[in-house]
Amino acid sequence: MTETASWWSLPAAPALLLTGAVLAVAGDALLAARDAGRPRTVAAAVRPLLEVVRLLAAQPRRMPAPDRLLWRSGVVTVPVAAVLSVLVVPFGHRAVADLSVGVVWFNAMEVLTWAGLWLAGWGPNAAFSLIGGYRFVAQGLAYELPLMFALISAATGAQSLRVGEIAEAQQGLWFAVWMPVAFVVYLAGVLAFSFLGPFGYPVGRDIASGVLGETSGVDRLLLQAGRWLWLTSGAAMAVPLFLGGGAGPGLPAWAWSALKTLLVLALLVWVLRRLPVLRADRYVELAWVVLVPLSILQALVPALVVLNR
Amino acid sequence: MTGTTAALALLGVALLGVGTVYGAARALRSTSEPLPAGPFESGVEPSEHAVSRFHVRWYTITMLFLAFDMEMVFMYPWTRVISAMGPGAVTEMFVFLAVLVAGVLYAWREGALRWT
Amino acid sequence: MDLTAGALRAVAARPHVLLVATPGGTAARLAAERRLRLDDLPLARTPAEADILLVAGPDRPGLRPAVDRLWQHLPAPRARAHAATPDAIGPALERCRTDLTRPSRVDAGHSSDGDGNGNGNHEGHKGHGDHHDHGGMEMPAGLPMAGTGPDRDGLELDQLHIALGPFLIDWPTGPTVRLTLQGDVIQRAELEEPGEQLGDGGDVPFWAEPWARAAEGERIGIGQAARRRAAAQLDSLGRLLAVAGWAGEATTARRLRDDLLDGAPGAALRPGVRRFARRVGRSRTLYWLTRGLGPLAGSRARAAGVGGPAARADGDVPARYRTWLADVVRDVDRLAETAPLPADEEGPRGRPAGGEWPSAALARLLPDLLEGAELAAARLIVASLDPDPDELAAAARGVTARD
Repeated sequence: MTETASWWSLPAAPALLLTGAVLAVAGDALLAARDAGRPRTVAAAVRPLLEVVRLLAAQPRRMPAPDRLLWRSGVVTVPVAAVLSVLVVPFGHRAVADLSVGVVWFNAMEVLTWAGLWLAGWGPNAAFSLIGGYRFVAQGLAYELPLMFALISAATGAQSLRVGEIAEAQQGLWFAVWMPVAFVVYLAGVLAFSFLGPFGYPVGRDIASGVLGETSGVDRLLLQAGRWLWLTSGAAMAVPLFLGGGAGPGLPAWAWSALKTLLVLALLVWVLRRLPVLRADRYVELAWVVLVPLSILQALVPALVVLNR
Repeated sequence: MTGTTAALALLGVALLGVGTVYGAARALRSTSEPLPAGPFESGVEPSEHAVSRFHVRWYTITMLFLAFDMEMVFMYPWTRVISAMGPGAVTEMFVFLAVLVAGVLYAWREGALRWT
Repeated sequence: MDLTAGALRAVAARPHVLLVATPGGTAARLAAERRLRLDDLPLARTPAEADILLVAGPDRPGLRPAVDRLWQHLPAPRARAHAATPDAIGPALERCRTDLTRPSRVDAGHSSDGDGNGNGNHEGHKGHGDHHDHGGMEMPAGLPMAGTGPDRDGLELDQLHIALGPFLIDWPTGPTVRLTLQGDVIQRAELEEPGEQLGDGGDVPFWAEPWARAAEGERIGIGQAARRRAAAQLDSLGRLLAVAGWAGEATTARRLRDDLLDGAPGAALRPGVRRFARRVGRSRTLYWLTRGLGPLAGSRARAAGVGGPAARADGDVPARYRTWLADVVRDVDRLAETAPLPADEEGPRGRPAGGEWPSAALARLLPDLLEGAELAAARLIVASLDPDPDELAAAARGVTARD
């Protein structure tokens, strides 16, 4: 019974999202500290947050003949779309708005990053940046369809596009248990639309940060924040889609939501440093020849189960 | 709140946040005079503008993608009516998908999924 | 408290450092990389991201204009320093961080090698073409639009010209490969030799030092040379893994490299090195992502004058990184051997031949291997051969005796 929360959820949802993103950044900093042989302390975990002040204090840069309007709109789109995506993500039994087309809304917001990132790559009129922008489109062609089939698998299992109803439909058994392929493909999709870790292809080190290469100051801050907000939003959405939402013994529903979200987030952050970047020229083939057919078969499973119910 | 009101309000909150960040930068930064900079090209002067008609060699994949994307438009509403429509709905949908996958396999065999 | 002053202190607490290692500056680069790793100061990849420009290694007059151009593109607050030797890295970074907190003089420059080249000539942002803003429709900002050229399929399509090098993260500083791209596929690659623009030939390359000294008659133990070779190959592996985007293992490779150069005993290093070699060597993901890239038959390599691991690997990128891994594991087992270095032991990149260091032949192979490759693949191919900028800049003296 997910209900629409009152007006106070409007600031609360983005605040929770931001908290999750800060925790993810801190977790990533601790893993980086372990790899680099630095002490793992609270100070090490919060050091990356100095980045916020550093970027706010930076002098603006003016590129020769940039496309300022498109650049700026691309940069702003990424974090704003991430915030908009949590409109339909329930926290416990409350969502800002449990839309009847919640899954489609989430999908639509995620696809906005295609436009955002491509524009951010086009805007500065720099070669590496441009290549990065196109890289994200190529990556999108690979990750998007398996991700959509994963979303549809969950929606089919519940015969609803309302996120609250999908969470309720898992009272007996989590979708993650009997739709493991959809779950894994969904998590890979989350990494891909956050363009982090193995899916950091558009901002690759080999092309000097690609889309991020010419951004400085607030623009860079917003794009970076957008990545971690998307990672958090994707982790939060995994809970109602595949992990039974706020259901669980003992604790209140909101606590279960928070706990499950943080566990998914921890898993995603751990993966970031453990894999090389999946270049689109290789990943596209894998995605179309293996992941698309697999995720279609996965979508067939809940369809047959629903028929026999 | 209706869905539309909530969505617009959340958009407002997000844009307000973005505006606040830009405002904070205005207050904090050491100088507002923009630095005349150039694109980073490994320390070499650029010889031309980067914005150009970028030759995407994966354009055939975009065609495949569009075919599937249109199919998704049907599949989202389809999820809601499986029980109501019965086995026919499932058969039709997955036969349609099988046809599309056959197209993918053909494209794969023709080498459309590789571009280097 | 002044808001701006507080912000500047935050910048100085964790500045991003654009590290430029000049050819011949490997020792200084290693000191800088270790320092940045332990102090958690991120490496910047572009001037836009950086707060500090740190030049490590001997001053190269030929590279000065390019370094100054990088500096002009760093947004304030910013600081720059030049550290010629490993010992100068720490003080140079400290001074830069102090400079960052000073609001009045954000354009601070330093030169710790005393010749004063760090200061001065970077005043006045005379950018490229920024003054030609009114140049008309055809040449906005004084630059032409991209031209077209025939594609491999016979189509007339836009071409972009970009350069890899001289300065690019995880790129051997110095050599520049000029690329003609259509989309992200390389149509043509031309190598620009750094040549005489670098100034003098310089010292013996850091990585090949034990072999050069042995050639001059000094007694060098096998263990000592093996330690240097293993560190050199871990340095190359770290670069390859960083270009491949594998953050965790790239850091591991660099930590092991630093431990080796610190003189850690073999027994302490062995488990870590073996675990690293197992993880990377057996990674199916890395193999799948790199197989088939930059195939180089052993015979073709030797015909081009390349010896060492690149020729022994006799294959593609995975063959080369697996050869490095096997070499590192073997060398770490030999750290305690004190017998004198036999004459047939090769250096990290092979033996000098024809009066030049082995990296010169490696660099000459690049254009052929890069044409037709995707841009990311090209970076991986270069990293898997990893020509040493020190060797490219140094005169091949003292080593020809061992041919």
